[in-house]
Amino acid sequence: MWKEIGDREMGKIRPNSFSSQIKSNRISNLQLSNNKDIVSPHRGSVNSLQVDLTEGRYLLSGASDASAAVYDVQRATDYEGNGLIAKHKCLFSVDKQHEKGHKYAISSTIWYPVDTGLFVTGSYDHYVKVWDTNTTQVVMSFKMPGKVYRTAMSPLATSHMLIAAGTEDVQVRLCDIASGAFAHTLSGHRDGVMTVEWSTSSEWVLITGGCDGAIRFWDIRRAGCFLVLDQSQSQLGRRPPVLARSAANKVNVSKSLSAGQNSLGKQRAPQKKVSNGHGMKQSTIGRMPTNGSVRQRLHPGMLSIQDRATAHYGAVTGLKVTDDGMYLLSAGSDSRIKLWDLESGYNTLVNFEVVRLQTSKAIQLAISQDSAQVFVPCMTVVKAFDVWSGKMSLTFRGHYESVNCCWFSSQDQELYTGGNDRQILVWSPCQLITDDTDAGRTKDEDNWSD
Amino acid sequence: MATEMQERGKVATLIEKATNSTAAEVDPRLLKAIKSVVRSSDSELRLAAHTLMDLMKRDHSQVRYLTLLIIDELFMRSKLFRTLLVENLDQLLALSVGFRRNMPLPAPPAIASTLRSKAIEFLEKWNASFGIHYRQLRLGFDYLKNTLRFQFPNLQETAARIDRERRERERRTREILQNKFEMLKTNFSSVKEEIRATVDEVRQCLDIVRTKEECMPPILLDDEDFVEFRPAELRQIRLDSLKEGEKVHENNDNKVVFDALRELYKLLVTKHLASVQEMISLLIRVEAADNRSRDSMLKELIDIRNSLISVKKDCEESGCALPKTAKNNEEEEEDFWEEGNFGSTENEITTEPGKRKEVESSNAEEKSKSIEDRNFKKSNKRSESLAKVSASSKVKAKDKDCSNLSSKVKETLGSENSVRSELLAEAPVLKWGSFLDNWGSVSNRDTLANQKGWELDNHWGRVDYDAVIPAEKIAELNLQATIYQEKLGEIQPCRAPLNKGVLCQRRDLKVCPFHGPIIPRDDAGNPINQNSSTEDTDPDLGSDLVEQIAKQAVKNVREQDKEEARKRKLAKQSLQREKLAKVREHNEAVLRDAAMASTSRSAAFGEDMGETVGEGSVARRNKQTLASMLRKKVTTKDRLAQRLLNTRATDATIRQMTQGEDATYKEAFPNQW
Repeated sequence: MWKEIGDREMGKIRPNSFSSQIKSNRISNLQLSNNKDIVSPHRGSVNSLQVDLTEGRYLLSGASDASAAVYDVQRATDYEGNGLIAKHKCLFSVDKQHEKGHKYAISSTIWYPVDTGLFVTGSYDHYVKVWDTNTTQVVMSFKMPGKVYRTAMSPLATSHMLIAAGTEDVQVRLCDIASGAFAHTLSGHRDGVMTVEWSTSSEWVLITGGCDGAIRFWDIRRAGCFLVLDQSQSQLGRRPPVLARSAANKVNVSKSLSAGQNSLGKQRAPQKKVSNGHGMKQSTIGRMPTNGSVRQRLHPGMLSIQDRATAHYGAVTGLKVTDDGMYLLSAGSDSRIKLWDLESGYNTLVNFEVVRLQTSKAIQLAISQDSAQVFVPCMTVVKAFDVWSGKMSLTFRGHYESVNCCWFSSQDQELYTGGNDRQILVWSPCQLITDDTDAGRTKDEDNWSD
Repeated sequence: MATEMQERGKVATLIEKATNSTAAEVDPRLLKAIKSVVRSSDSELRLAAHTLMDLMKRDHSQVRYLTLLIIDELFMRSKLFRTLLVENLDQLLALSVGFRRNMPLPAPPAIASTLRSKAIEFLEKWNASFGIHYRQLRLGFDYLKNTLRFQFPNLQETAARIDRERRERERRTREILQNKFEMLKTNFSSVKEEIRATVDEVRQCLDIVRTKEECMPPILLDDEDFVEFRPAELRQIRLDSLKEGEKVHENNDNKVVFDALRELYKLLVTKHLASVQEMISLLIRVEAADNRSRDSMLKELIDIRNSLISVKKDCEESGCALPKTAKNNEEEEEDFWEEGNFGSTENEITTEPGKRKEVESSNAEEKSKSIEDRNFKKSNKRSESLAKVSASSKVKAKDKDCSNLSSKVKETLGSENSVRSELLAEAPVLKWGSFLDNWGSVSNRDTLANQKGWELDNHWGRVDYDAVIPAEKIAELNLQATIYQEKLGEIQPCRAPLNKGVLCQRRDLKVCPFHGPIIPRDDAGNPINQNSSTEDTDPDLGSDLVEQIAKQAVKNVREQDKEEARKRKLAKQSLQREKLAKVREHNEAVLRDAAMASTSRSAAFGEDMGETVGEGSVARRNKQTLASMLRKKVTTKDRLAQRLLNTRATDATIRQMTQGEDATYKEAFPNQW
């Protein structure tokens, strides 16, 4: 570590790579934190966790007892054991006692991406509610046709304030906070929608995974879905990193994002294994609106065979887009994790060594900020996989019942997990320096009397 | 290299060995060995942790239990072991507590339940000691406690609570004592004054009495010369009477003084002496700030107490026989009868007389009624409240016991109440029966049969209202019948030595199903009469005889050394006696068996003797192993089922039943073929 700091001083290492090195080092040392307890007020399984995207400080959790709570993960509310254990009690929680609270289990809680003044909860009582954080009052509620499985808001959105809600119903609805009405109803899935996720590269693109095993891509400016992932279409390996390739191809990356992707799309062709003729292969997310004579023709009534493609056998239970928006990780009730190349829409055939995944509930995956590691709840443990090789690097063993959700806070390199045992556990990099200054407490050391 | 490997594997083999046992605890020697090996190196410790976790997965609760005990030993000692184990704590808990539904604890169930309780106890202990350093421990504890709602023994908290309560109690008593001490300090002088005044008065009274007595001339003193030739006993009596004569006797002259004396004595004994005692005990117990004043007070109090005692003694010696009279007075007052409260009568009688005073006044008018009257009422009431034998019936029973004339006893009852209570104490407790209705009264009268108040006319035809049941028939009907209850004596334990090292505590009448006939054994469980022959099946028969003979034989052997000459003769003699004893023993055994055969117990036990003896020997033969623990115990039900449900038996039954059916069918339709 000191050597790296020295190198950084000398200018051998660039600041970015230095920090990412340190971060990845810390991530590889994650373990159950002994001195950071989140005191869960929930009386049911924790279904959803999210740290706010603006400050990286407030953790929002939703649980099966229809309660949602917010914690400050930076400042502890009190200490135990002579200051050894920091207890983070919830700042506030809303539950059934609240006059407008949810009646049944909360399946999904998300922060309003722009600030922490609002948060959104979706529940099995068919409602999506928008809460004012400061007054803890419901400011808006949307009645859904069935149980709400997952809600999502786009972290990039600048021109819309839409909540995408996946429900028991086959249709995905977009709830507009600005008007308080449903903006869109997206139909295409043949069964309930377990999970929804906004693209991290385009504010218009929504990805949904259904109980029918399909992963569909929607452009909310147009009718219908434009892409259905097919597990049988695959490509071997991963594309070379953007920077290296763009450098090699002398492509100017300082252009706009869409332009960059455009150029990437052009570069992609020679790497494809098979081009089987239909227009699907031409579709990429970013450029879809700009270039699409082929798409135009195909889009409204995509070939029915294409429309029936599945990404998993069984339901799609979890989706996560990498930070750069180029890859998608999906988890299914067939106990598979799949990595998709979003540009081509192909399965990359990375084998994740997952033994078993929870099948009955939607699970929440987490991904580290440089897209190196993916954290997957596998029954009672959380496993960390290398995204590109699928090798398992860490196992987080601590929950006594199935884990439902995890969230990686890239700011602190901490992992938060919530499970059916009602606990929210914090996994943090091990402390290098432990202060043993206070002699008052019982020491943890060998004690051989004989 | 090979030795190193061997060394490396040592702890694993040690642990294997320690857990391969049916004992309830780990062999302490092996445990110590494990601990010392593990302490020597970290790699051994890692290996031990690994081995122990593997052993926890064994499909046998006993192995898991012993493993858990070893784990606890190491867990409390080694930090590395803790960190290794805590990683897989959920697995360990699942294997030891068995909280996962798909992973229940393996057989045998009895040990599985001990395993579970022990695991819970350990978890609590670990959490209390190291929970602060291991989040996993806290999580596991919290999960079992708050989610699965396991009951933790809560040892620490309980101990703390008890301690707290005790301290609280002590503090309170100290406070109370302190308060009392303060009170005492303030009014000590006044109390002292009071006591002194009383003592003085008593002294004065005594002086007065004595001086008066001095004036009276001694009457009988002169006779002393004559008595010398009389026998010693008579002289003693005489001396006593003389002494008695010396005492002051109450008469009209000094009645006032005596009354005052009695009054003062009572005050002295009941109030002052008691209060002084109390004060002394208070002073002894209290923790005063100024010890000097306390000590001086204590000294004074002891002095006062001594003087009080001496005065009391003086009083009693002065012959007013105060304590006795007082008692008599009290007893006279308690002559009353409590009416109507049946259930408690018995209790009332046994309690102290003082307690009855409360009801005395209300029952004052009852006294006037004759006791006979009351008894009559009682017996009437008794027939209403059936189950309990009342005091009056007891008295009546006593009547019959001690004498046939009840009226006489009633007289004594009237005159002397103490006799009544005495009788009550002795009265037998009987079960209720119709014979109690006219207990003791010899009813020779015929009873009218149809005078019960029912209108029986025109229902069963004409009724003879004058029909009588003859007296002897009534007596016959009222005969008290009891069921003979066999008196169960102390049944001797078998006391055969067991593998565990203890003695068999089974109590069987004649034959222990596991160790054969019950014979007298010494403390180590060895049969005492080794030389007795096989026919000695009845242990409580000639055992002491045999013992005697054995003793005799030992004595003889000792004597052999001394007297060589008499040896032969004696040996022959003893041999003869032994033979004789054997013959007698045999005879007695035969007689005894014959007698036993007629009793209920022997009938129940005699039959299956041979079989059980056989099984016992089988059971003794196979040693207990881990595998045998898993085997299901053969119960009586199983044996019966084996007998009844085998094919032959069922076939036979079916055949019998079909035969029976055939027979009935043939009988019902004899003309059909």
